[in-house]
Amino acid sequence: MATPNQVAWQRPTIGSHAGHRARAWLRANAALLLVSPTLIFLSCFLVVPYVNMLVMSFRNPSTTSVFAPGYTIGNYTKALTDPFYLGVLAKTIAFGAVTTLVCMLIGYPVAYHLARTRARFKGLLYVCILSPLLVGVVVRCYGWIILLANNGLINNTVKQMGLAPHGLPLMYNAFGVGVGLVHVFLPFMILPILSAIQSIDPALEEAARSLGASRIGTILRVVIPLSLPGIQAGSILVFVLTISAYVIPVLLGALKFKIMATLVIQLLIDAFLWPFGAALAFILSASGAAVVYLFIRVTGPLMKGLA
Amino acid sequence: MTTLTISGLTKRYGELVAVDDLSLEIAEGELVSLLGPSGCGKTTTLRSIAGFVEPDAGAILFDGVDVTTLAPERRDIGMVFQNYALFPHMTVRKNLGFGLEMRRIGKQQMAERIAKVLDIVQLTGLEDRYPRQLSGGQQQRVALARGLVIEPRVLLLDEPLANLDAKLREEMRFFIRSLQKGVGITTVYVTHDQAEAMVISDRIVVMFDGRVRQVGSATEIYLHPASREVADFIGLSNFIEGRIKERTEEGRYTVETPLGDVWCRSALALPVGDPATVVVRPESIKLTRSPPNNSELNCIAGKVRDRVYLGNIAGYRVVCADGSVIQVQEQPWHVSAVGDEVHCVFESDLAWIICE
Repeated sequence: MATPNQVAWQRPTIGSHAGHRARAWLRANAALLLVSPTLIFLSCFLVVPYVNMLVMSFRNPSTTSVFAPGYTIGNYTKALTDPFYLGVLAKTIAFGAVTTLVCMLIGYPVAYHLARTRARFKGLLYVCILSPLLVGVVVRCYGWIILLANNGLINNTVKQMGLAPHGLPLMYNAFGVGVGLVHVFLPFMILPILSAIQSIDPALEEAARSLGASRIGTILRVVIPLSLPGIQAGSILVFVLTISAYVIPVLLGALKFKIMATLVIQLLIDAFLWPFGAALAFILSASGAAVVYLFIRVTGPLMKGLA
Repeated sequence: MTTLTISGLTKRYGELVAVDDLSLEIAEGELVSLLGPSGCGKTTTLRSIAGFVEPDAGAILFDGVDVTTLAPERRDIGMVFQNYALFPHMTVRKNLGFGLEMRRIGKQQMAERIAKVLDIVQLTGLEDRYPRQLSGGQQQRVALARGLVIEPRVLLLDEPLANLDAKLREEMRFFIRSLQKGVGITTVYVTHDQAEAMVISDRIVVMFDGRVRQVGSATEIYLHPASREVADFIGLSNFIEGRIKERTEEGRYTVETPLGDVWCRSALALPVGDPATVVVRPESIKLTRSPPNNSELNCIAGKVRDRVYLGNIAGYRVVCADGSVIQVQEQPWHVSAVGDEVHCVFESDLAWIICE
């Protein structure tokens, strides 16, 4: 026997029960809903093309169409047994390592200075560091070409002064490409190191000095070990970006300096060897990942005491 | 053993004068505290001794040798920082070994010295821990040990106990005091905590606005403050304004105040008729119902306005005839109720004249 009061009390609970359930579902799946736009975007434009390429790399090559029927691992065995392709791969990895090292050596002092400076124009220094990223890649490269070309500013000056009658080989080689890459990837090295150094208590440096360490000793024994996470992050970024760089090697290397990225595009676009090109692209990715993994394994133990 | 001399030290930051013509002589094995509110220049002074601050004028001398322009690493100092500044990427052993390594001490001797200093700070067994695996108090003692193990000429401590909780801080005061007496290193200790300075120091340097206001033992500074500022900063004080009426004998004066004549002491030769402020500490005053028989005691009549019970003491605020308030700290078992007519009684020896 329900009194009118009880009925009035029950009705809204029935109505809100479904609403409550919907809210609970929303709450439980909120994370999924929030990431779904990104997930859909990535699957359409990253996962699907990657899978497509992976499948392509196992297809039979053909001279008359994109690929012949059937599947093979021949593309991989060919790439991994041919000394030419292995040579280009080794050169690419070595080139990436050297570029990373140069960025590290140039970038570290800049990052240290910027982290510790109390200058009023600190904001301006940030803009300077980011400036390579503010200029389009083509404009930036043509700027370098004006400087580095065989008849460029530097070579003309050098020739006129009689220092090197035949000019210096500044472009169409590892040096020219390296200059272009270091220029644009330097911010990716500096910024992680900068934030790592900023998180080091300046009192630690003073403590080292008070204990008898020189300025250099303090940097070597205290600042660098404590900024290793930043160095590690910056190095991985620069290395990965370098081995996969394409536009700069093409513009400043003019295809005379061959690395994996330019080679893969040549095979895909010029030679139309899609299966083999795809296989080479995956070999480059896998080698890069392997190097990064090894790097993390080697540098990890050095950061033992850090949180 | 090193004597430390600071002469005419001055440091400006733009318009602000952080340290103004500071001179100080610290004897071998002495522990001197720089005490003052934040921004008084005590840390700048310490950092000048360490070599992290380049003074605009003046000199720092170790055993009479000018070190003013010497880099910090060449001064042979041990420094303990407020936040300890232990190297997070090194174990306790490596932290302690850092200074020894810089001094190219051999492996064996290094191990011996580390073991010895760890024993002194009671941390034996924690050699292989990283700083983040230690409690705040342990980190603090590692920082002390790191400063001591290099057997520096001068030990500099910058608010080393500020980050510890109250109970541990009190223990550490005594610990540092006995440790410093044991090793006998000339020490400068910076703090804003007056109790800490009083427990730890041989001498206290009270600083305000970059200037030294008084130098003396804890007793001297507490009982015979040089100025109203010093008296106000260290402990509670009653200030009674008046005029010198008469000089009764050597160092003894009668001061005429709105509350009646007060007999007090001063080390200075004060001319009759000059304005004077009398300082009386709250715990120097006893409350009585009737005026004392002994006419040599000072006595000011008043009425109890507030009473607070703090366990170890009972605090009173007594309103006098002219409306001024006298603070009194009595024994906790003393019972005067709010509204009682009382007499504030204190000895002339405990009333001190300051002139400004």
